[in-house]
Amino acid sequence: MAPVKLANVRKSFGAVEIIQGVDVDIVDGEFLVLVGPSGCGKSTLLRMIAGLESISSGEIAIGDRVVNDLEPKFRDIAMVFQNYALYPHMTVERNMGFSLEHRGHSKSEIAERVQWAAQILDLAKLLDRYPRQLSGGQRQRVAMGRAIVRNPQVFLFDEPLSNLDAKLRVVMRAEIKSLHQRLGVTTVYVTHDQVEAMTMADRIVVMNGGKVEQIGTPLELYDRPANRFVAGFIGSPAMNFLPGTITRAGFEAGGVTLPLPGPIAERDGQDAVYGIRPEHLALDGEGLEAEVLLVEPMGSETQVTLRLAGQQMIAVFRERISARPGETIRLRPDVAAAHLFDAASGARLN
Amino acid sequence: MAAIAPDAIKRQSFRLVMWLFTLLTIVPFALLLLTSLKSKQDLFRGAFALPAYPHFENYVSAWVDGHFGTYFWNSIIVVVPVVTCSIVLGLLTGFAFAFLSFPFKRSIFVILTIGMMVPTEAFIIPLYYEMRYLGLLNSYAAMILPQIAMSLPFATLFMAATMQQLPKDVMEAALLDGASRGLILRRVIVPLLKPAISSLGLFLFIWTWNEFLIPLILVNDDAFRTMPLGMLFFQGRYTVNTPVLTAGAVLVIAPIIVVYLIFQRKFIEGLTAGASK
Repeated sequence: MAPVKLANVRKSFGAVEIIQGVDVDIVDGEFLVLVGPSGCGKSTLLRMIAGLESISSGEIAIGDRVVNDLEPKFRDIAMVFQNYALYPHMTVERNMGFSLEHRGHSKSEIAERVQWAAQILDLAKLLDRYPRQLSGGQRQRVAMGRAIVRNPQVFLFDEPLSNLDAKLRVVMRAEIKSLHQRLGVTTVYVTHDQVEAMTMADRIVVMNGGKVEQIGTPLELYDRPANRFVAGFIGSPAMNFLPGTITRAGFEAGGVTLPLPGPIAERDGQDAVYGIRPEHLALDGEGLEAEVLLVEPMGSETQVTLRLAGQQMIAVFRERISARPGETIRLRPDVAAAHLFDAASGARLN
Repeated sequence: MAAIAPDAIKRQSFRLVMWLFTLLTIVPFALLLLTSLKSKQDLFRGAFALPAYPHFENYVSAWVDGHFGTYFWNSIIVVVPVVTCSIVLGLLTGFAFAFLSFPFKRSIFVILTIGMMVPTEAFIIPLYYEMRYLGLLNSYAAMILPQIAMSLPFATLFMAATMQQLPKDVMEAALLDGASRGLILRRVIVPLLKPAISSLGLFLFIWTWNEFLIPLILVNDDAFRTMPLGMLFFQGRYTVNTPVLTAGAVLVIAPIIVVYLIFQRKFIEGLTAGASK
């Protein structure tokens, strides 16, 4: 186990800077998730920590060692790849023991370590099989087994669940999380799936266009997103946005006036964006009129797509809704949970 | 009369053309094989007439009187080191071109490509003088060394291209597992490239086995002659005995067919590698 420190890390390909000065301190034993849309640089950043990509400037430290110029094999890290990256011609046992074979471990020690990892990951019966004889979930467990036998200082996961079906993804998510709780090894996990990020992370780093948008615990990011990008990225269904103007009477958008969160009278006349999460819109006979466009019952909740103040929005209700498309319902936003963002910069205002 | 669907006509015509080409390829070989089993008298009864019984003595005659026994072993002595060395060197140079950065990489790559394009006729005279200077004329080395050099450009390009198609993250996983370059090549790349190595081996075997000009110019001692060259001199001596002559021709091509049949599966795997997941 070791802390990982990224200080002003940059990466350029020619004139294009794809990582634009990232600073992150990962605490010893922490589960940190890098999340962001495709092409935001999260996988590149992970590969830079692994040593598979060079860095253009800045500093990466694992433990008390700066590893900028250190080859991957000397960084004492283990990585689990999206496509598992198992050796197709080796059995599960050899796949897991390969990294120990050329590090001076005795055969009995390798067998012992492989057995230990196989027990943890429920692979003991599969040790003689080849990767082609395994299911996706089993392959992913072998990939994790290969990582843990070495007892590395840091685990790196590069979208490890992307190739699994939805059901298996939920199972493997829990397995990875419980593995982390059991071993307590510092983990950096890359995903584009914000649900994965929310459920697994101690802290999340939201990245966009090679920059860090916000670092925080899952609920910090959910409850107080630093900007409109984070607000829109974290949460499913995504936060609703209403562009309009802050006035003394409230937030005016599309002919309706919404209550303002907090005392922001000094911003009177400022163009802004009102953000409200789908579950923070409640049915209220005195509320704002909204036209129902689509009703999607999920069982535990009902998702309703509607038009409010000229904008298409989504509301989620725990109660059963009898409204049909074309009908009008009345909604009240939970003002305490509303967010205001600057129209130009997208920065949080409240 | 029921109308025949245009699709069926198209399919049947395609089959007909395919069969025609197949026959065009097979018939000369079948005739060669048939003639090699005939007696001189059978020959006059027509090209397609079957002999009363197979005359295997033609093969014995070609093997013993035509010195094909010597030529065969000479070919083996030349082919085995050429194929082995070219594959080993091709793996090393291919690895370098596929994964390493070194000065003048592109220029060297272009030179290698040119090396594949230049015909043997263009450099055989300087090569002759070079071999004479080195005192290697009339030796196995005179045939082995130039053919390794001639095979290397193709082996390098072939290996580099196939290595580049290997899943990148498997290499990276090996790197993170702490494997050195040599170990990655030996323990990860070579086992994954077995079909490609088989294909390369087969190509090189065929080319080296059939090589004619180099042994013709650099070797004039009958004790060092290889199969194709032996065939030439055998033809000169046995023009009147067509069955023995064709038996000699069968002996020349038989090893290629046997090697192809052995490696057939791997060869096809190698040709289609990377076509689908």
